[in-house]
Amino acid sequence: MAGSGHTWPNSQDDYELLDVIGVGATAVVHAAYCRPRNEKCAIKRINLEKWNTSMDELLKEIQAMSSCNHENVVTYYTSFVVKEELWLVLRLLEGGSLLDIIKHKMRISNCKHGVFDEATIATVLKEVLKGLEYFHQNGQIHRDIKAGNILLGDDGIVQIADFGVSAWLATGRDLSRQKVRHTFVGTPCWMAPEVMEQNHGYDFKADIWSFGITAIEMATGTAPYHKYPPMKVLMLTLQNDPPTLDTGAEEKDQYKAYGKTFRKMIFECLQKDPAKRPTATELLKHSFFKKARDRKYLVSTLVTIGPSMETRVHKASRRQPGASGRLHRMETGEWVWESEEEDDDEDDAARDRPMNTLERADSSDSDDDRAAFTIGSAGAPDARQAPLINLVLRMRNARNELNDIRFEFAAGKDSADGIATELVGAGLLDARDADVTARQLQRLVDDFLFPAAGATAPRSLTFRLNSAPPEPEDEQSLIGFAQISIVD
Amino acid sequence: MPLFGKSQKSPAELVRSLKDAVTALERGDKKAEKAQEDVSKNLVLIKNMLYGTSDAEPQTDIIVAQLAQELYNTNLLLLLIQNLNRIDFEGKKDVAQVFNNVLRRQIGTRSPTVEYICTKPEILFTLMSGYEHQEIASNCGTMLRECARYEALAKIMLYSDDFYNFFRYVEVSTFDIASDAFSTFKELLTRHKMLCAEFLETNYDKVFSHYQRLLNSENYVTRRQSLKLLGELLLDRHNFSIMTRYITNPDNLKLMMNMLKEKSRNIQFEAFHVFKVFVANPNKPKPILDILLRNQDKLVDFLTKFHTDRSEDEQFNDEKAYLIKQIKELKPSEH
Repeated sequence: MAGSGHTWPNSQDDYELLDVIGVGATAVVHAAYCRPRNEKCAIKRINLEKWNTSMDELLKEIQAMSSCNHENVVTYYTSFVVKEELWLVLRLLEGGSLLDIIKHKMRISNCKHGVFDEATIATVLKEVLKGLEYFHQNGQIHRDIKAGNILLGDDGIVQIADFGVSAWLATGRDLSRQKVRHTFVGTPCWMAPEVMEQNHGYDFKADIWSFGITAIEMATGTAPYHKYPPMKVLMLTLQNDPPTLDTGAEEKDQYKAYGKTFRKMIFECLQKDPAKRPTATELLKHSFFKKARDRKYLVSTLVTIGPSMETRVHKASRRQPGASGRLHRMETGEWVWESEEEDDDEDDAARDRPMNTLERADSSDSDDDRAAFTIGSAGAPDARQAPLINLVLRMRNARNELNDIRFEFAAGKDSADGIATELVGAGLLDARDADVTARQLQRLVDDFLFPAAGATAPRSLTFRLNSAPPEPEDEQSLIGFAQISIVD
Repeated sequence: MPLFGKSQKSPAELVRSLKDAVTALERGDKKAEKAQEDVSKNLVLIKNMLYGTSDAEPQTDIIVAQLAQELYNTNLLLLLIQNLNRIDFEGKKDVAQVFNNVLRRQIGTRSPTVEYICTKPEILFTLMSGYEHQEIASNCGTMLRECARYEALAKIMLYSDDFYNFFRYVEVSTFDIASDAFSTFKELLTRHKMLCAEFLETNYDKVFSHYQRLLNSENYVTRRQSLKLLGELLLDRHNFSIMTRYITNPDNLKLMMNMLKEKSRNIQFEAFHVFKVFVANPNKPKPILDILLRNQDKLVDFLTKFHTDRSEDEQFNDEKAYLIKQIKELKPSEH
């Protein structure tokens, strides 16, 4: 609708679906061809039967897109229902995401001392900032700025995509909308401390933090704490000084090619006090962006070296649910970790996350399964081989609302104490309850992995919390109690 | 922003320039391009007056009061909405922002803009017809939902003939427009409980014959959304008499039994929450009882196997167990 008046058809028959260019938890993205317009486009097919969030959430996402008309924000054309799917018709950006390009470049060349030169970084980030500036002026926060959500057209155009988590935020004296948001959404590695802390709410400045992390990502190829599990990332972000280019470096001076101005720009974005971070408009005036060039430059440094559409198609269909994703607080107050596309090198099968080990535990279809269940082999060469157990900790929060905290437990890698500490660090668990939670978690996991002969291991344990207020307790409704369960 | 610091225009001048510009735009003569620019510029100035900018606070209450008064006196709000399709992309959003801000304005407990719109209901009808036009639908929706928060305005909309157009709007092919219309529709039918109950009671036949079409829609989203809303409406205690009326009609029961068997699990689940009301009714009329008795064994069997994986949803399981028990114990009535 952002286009100037010409409309896109709302009939399935007018589109020819081409290759799959992206796969998510509930959606598939195709390149497509619109016959009446004789034009290419992208179609995001969302399976509404699998979409467990309310339709209102979905509508908000689409409204966020359709209320934008800016060259650096993904262009929305139309949307319509096909059987049980929603089809979103969007502009096709053939260069793919910046993350695709980073991964590709790291595969084909040595990027130890940096993935892109400063001019490329400045050019891309300046475009992203212009999109962010528009976004913020529009009263929206994106909440998930990262290389994976920055798309590139083959003409070198840069657009911010994925409004899946974008929120509306009122500016000025608009009383109908809360001034700050109180939900917990985003991808931990890119997430601002105030978003994690959740106690004061947050504003536009959260996107500036994620922007700073994205700058590091463009230089080093990954977000600073990408090696750690989500809860640990929360802890590191909250406890450590803000990350810099060198946070993830393996050796001294690894990234010395990057200059002072760039480092200064990152430093300004990554200040823990959001009020100290510059706005998008202020950042655009930063001297680092004087290094920015034009689209043609991006065509030469990014588009032509990027993975071909075919490579990405192959990749999209092989993506495994992995460590990257979103901790998502549903309307119901439920916390859900939504896995998303991840980066793993497909050529290296050993790196695939063993998401199906749980099934293996139930259906012993192979003899060497046992080996995977050795607990206590901490420091195993590839901890990713550890079986993953999905768990839910159900308890009431400070406002007495029932919350589900979902997390994974990698046997042999995670320790119950470690998880409990992470939960405390992330503000999800009262410190007084850390011990009891760790004990119960250990018990549940041990019984699950090594059930006593002839006995059925419990799937769920309910236990009393030390932090329970003196008011009447009720085990049934989890007042003063918590429940930890294994889920499939 | 202007060259000489802050805008020096008074609210009256601003409103006048905006009105002139919109009128020129409406005429569509060769000055249209200039008019377009003037409209956008003045809208931004008015918006900044109300909301402030990153550098400036919103204007004082006195200035805002003057601005509102000028808007009423000149009927500019209506003119803006009537010409919304002619205003540029950002300008359309500015109109909605200005409108909503002025609408929310209060003096003590009074809402002067609400009072004003009550005397100019044309504003509401123009906004409702905005759903006919793709390029302004969501802007109009934003304003309509703000209006629907006020009982007096919701009442005008509910009791107008135009309300029945919503049954068409919620089914248009463009998803975002249909969903936007649906959320306005839902807001109108649920926001003010007493008003809604009274409206549904008085207009029961007309509303539910229209509603039936939504439940039978070809469009999956329309079916799912309207079924969910139906469940919410029937289970709201304010709508008790509507519920009792609904569950005496055997056609409604048949429809729900068919929807229980739909392919979509979401639709099955929503249908369950309507179906349960028919079964739980202690005074089932004969036609309803007959249908249930005819299908007694099949229903027990069906419900026993129904969504067994929802083991964590205690309420659902309790309700399901209750329904199974009720159906098992059904006996032909003595009459």
